[in-house]
Amino acid sequence: MSAQENFDKVQPGDIVEGRPFTVTTDTIQDFGDASLDYNPLHFDPDWMEKNDFGGTHFGGVIMHGMQNFALITRTLTDWLVPRGGYHRRLETRWIKPVKLGDTITPEATVSRKNPTDSGHWVQFDVVVKNQDGEPVATGQALAEFRDTIPG
Amino acid sequence: MNVMGEDFETDFWKEVTDRATWDMIVPGELRETRPVTLTKQIIQDYARKVGEDNPLYFDEDYAKSTPYGGIVAPPSIHILLMFACTTSKDWMRSPGTINAGQNWYYNVPIRPGDTIEMRGTALDKFIKKDRLFAVHENLFTNQHGQVVCTGRGQTIRPV
Repeated sequence: MSAQENFDKVQPGDIVEGRPFTVTTDTIQDFGDASLDYNPLHFDPDWMEKNDFGGTHFGGVIMHGMQNFALITRTLTDWLVPRGGYHRRLETRWIKPVKLGDTITPEATVSRKNPTDSGHWVQFDVVVKNQDGEPVATGQALAEFRDTIPG
Repeated sequence: MNVMGEDFETDFWKEVTDRATWDMIVPGELRETRPVTLTKQIIQDYARKVGEDNPLYFDEDYAKSTPYGGIVAPPSIHILLMFACTTSKDWMRSPGTINAGQNWYYNVPIRPGDTIEMRGTALDKFIKKDRLFAVHENLFTNQHGQVVCTGRGQTIRPV
């Protein structure tokens, strides 16, 4: 299947549903061990109870913001790889802290297709919501449909 | 055990006085970095621990059947490299550093055995309301000199 054929199959409005992810002390430890990010924001409940950060009182440990980033990446690449798409860009903003016990689910929606001089590009709107349906992270992503992998 | 399988100081309070505060960060100055070689073991341990289970990262036969031609690392592995390639004195480790958002562009995928170098700076710093922000900019390249990915992000600095 050519890049053009794969690109033609993607339509604005296509929805990419991610898998739910529940945050526990184990998932935070795993993410720390994966990222080497052992900031006490994620590991020290007493310190988090006693301190404010940028005027915000979290009251307990928070999930690494980049766990959102990794889960969005997984959602996009799991959908793109079998469809011949190459993950090119991800831009994220954190809206709300994620705490122990929260269950978050990423979702991406194809917003636009952009053929360029020599490429086939697809834009996605991304949102990660918690168990109450509140957005905890939003973003945009870009994929390219190509015949070969760069490099 | 962390995915690099090496001693890594997990107490970010140690050496805290050696790290640049917001006042000391000079936009444009290079951060101290070191090259890191990513073995298949490190790539797969990283993938498992962040929840990645795509066979592209684990199954050589499957990966060979795709345009990738072999196992690669998940694109998000810069999450590990941002810490693995910097030193314990790097200000990104300061306790209370709040990540406010990131954007990353991906070029060449990382493959097992690649040695990755990082070039990192603070691109900018600013104050918004009463919050002190630093903008960081990172470039990762492989042993062939190819760009792997570039990224920019903002953190709120601890006071």
